[in-house]
Amino acid sequence: MPGAVAATMVPMTTTVKATATEVVAFDQVSKSYGDVRAVDGLSLKLHPGETVALLGPNGAGKSTTLDLLLGLKHADSGSVRVFGTSPREAIVAGHVGAMLQSGGLMDEVTVGELVRLACALHPKPYKANDVLARAGIAQIADRKVNKLSGGQAQRVRFALATAGDSDLIVLDEPTTGMDVSARQAFWATMREQADQGRTVLFATHYLEEADAIADRVLVLHRGRLLADGTAAEIKAKAGARRVSFDLEGPVDETALRALPFLTSIKVSQSGAAEDGGRTVRIQSTDADATVHAVYGLGVYPRNLEVAGLGLEQAFVAITTAEEAKQS
Amino acid sequence: MNALIKLELARALRNRKFLFFSVIYPSVLFLLIAGQADSKTRIDGTGLTLPTYMMVSMASFGALTAVLMGNSERIAKERESGWVRQLRLTTLPGRGYVLAKTASAAVVSLPSIVVVFVVAAAVKDVRLEAWQWLALTGAIWAGSLVFAALGVAIGYLASGDAVRPITMITYFGLSMLGGLWMPSSTFPQWLQDIAEWLPTHAYAAMGQAIEQSQVPHARDVTILAVFFVLFAGGAAWLYRKDTLKA
Repeated sequence: MPGAVAATMVPMTTTVKATATEVVAFDQVSKSYGDVRAVDGLSLKLHPGETVALLGPNGAGKSTTLDLLLGLKHADSGSVRVFGTSPREAIVAGHVGAMLQSGGLMDEVTVGELVRLACALHPKPYKANDVLARAGIAQIADRKVNKLSGGQAQRVRFALATAGDSDLIVLDEPTTGMDVSARQAFWATMREQADQGRTVLFATHYLEEADAIADRVLVLHRGRLLADGTAAEIKAKAGARRVSFDLEGPVDETALRALPFLTSIKVSQSGAAEDGGRTVRIQSTDADATVHAVYGLGVYPRNLEVAGLGLEQAFVAITTAEEAKQS
Repeated sequence: MNALIKLELARALRNRKFLFFSVIYPSVLFLLIAGQADSKTRIDGTGLTLPTYMMVSMASFGALTAVLMGNSERIAKERESGWVRQLRLTTLPGRGYVLAKTASAAVVSLPSIVVVFVVAAAVKDVRLEAWQWLALTGAIWAGSLVFAALGVAIGYLASGDAVRPITMITYFGLSMLGGLWMPSSTFPQWLQDIAEWLPTHAYAAMGQAIEQSQVPHARDVTILAVFFVLFAGGAAWLYRKDTLKA
């Protein structure tokens, strides 16, 4: 999605649906339930055409953030604007299509009937048959909604979210209950939506999805924004790349621990014998310098691997660091 | 909103169990109760024969079933499943959901009234003036709105496993004590004193007044109006509370 990626850098491009204002603007938004601050002074902006992943551990405030954005909940303080208006007005104007994790379906009606209803309720509707086809549920259009598998129900929810020409699509854990191939098919469909210049915001537990699909990743923790950037930037922020290698014979662990740019090191036995080789695993903020220093020790590292942290590890690193800071 | 009303209606008409209990069952019950009764004996204090009297009771009972039973449980369930939340992400105005439910219930309650009338006229030779048939249909149909509001209120009040027992107790309590199943003049005096104030009693009494070629008693109409305000107000309040909670 080169067009969409460019949108991250330059808020307005010609490939993007022109909108005068930000798609979404949270300004110092807070929301509490009793003593629990679900969202704590959150400020963020979404720009036209972006595909944004919202990440966070359970209880980070993802669902509350989406509920506030969709007008299902009201902020205790701060302001939430969607296309420059209130969330409700944006929905009534047909700007927003949304798929909720907790969004139930009307049962005892068929999939086709439900999708036709969604089209009838949208100010800029698509043809119901097209919506069914795009969501990959045309062949189950006559099936009763209460007879669907989890993955099929998710596709129906997706169809409801894309029943019309909305400019922003919000998806809360959209691929829950789907198997791997269904998930891939789903994201292929979603990409088409993004390529048409729509802004897509999705919350997910599957970090590889965020890594592969999002132009921008927001990491939420205890209702606050911990990180905001591309997946690569988030990984870089988490510090580090992984370096691993095997060493033969006795190992001078003290020397290894003194290597530059280390954030963590783990030395483990690679063979059965006690005096056998060791496997060294290092996280480093400057892998090149660290590897260079390893050779400087006069050892011969074998099976050397240098790899970036996955988004998942970066995410864990960022949130644990934050936990540590707070406790 | 019309699209939702249409779909709600299609769903209601497809539900055989619901149709049986709201459309067929009142007529069956009418035949069971009035079947053996001769068409001469008058019920104390009304001047109406048992079939004539029970026809209005059962038509009211059928309408009550149609508007109360379906909606309360469905609203409670759909609140829990999140369908109500999903609908809030559409252009449908907030009250649209409740209005669609009420409208579709009203469409089902009409046949449940008419079928009892047809059975009563055909099998038990109940004869009334044309204006009385029309007025009865109109009054019972309009009066069912009171209980539609009650159904919505229960749907927003109760949740999960509680909704069915609450609906059942309300439904049977109102039907029996209100004299829909047997004339309340057969009750002991203390029970009659209570029954008189129930909306179902006023509801059936309104129809029976029409059968006696009278204008419905102001007292009955007032009781119904007061209950309507109570139920509708309660439903609106509970709805708003539920919406804020999301």
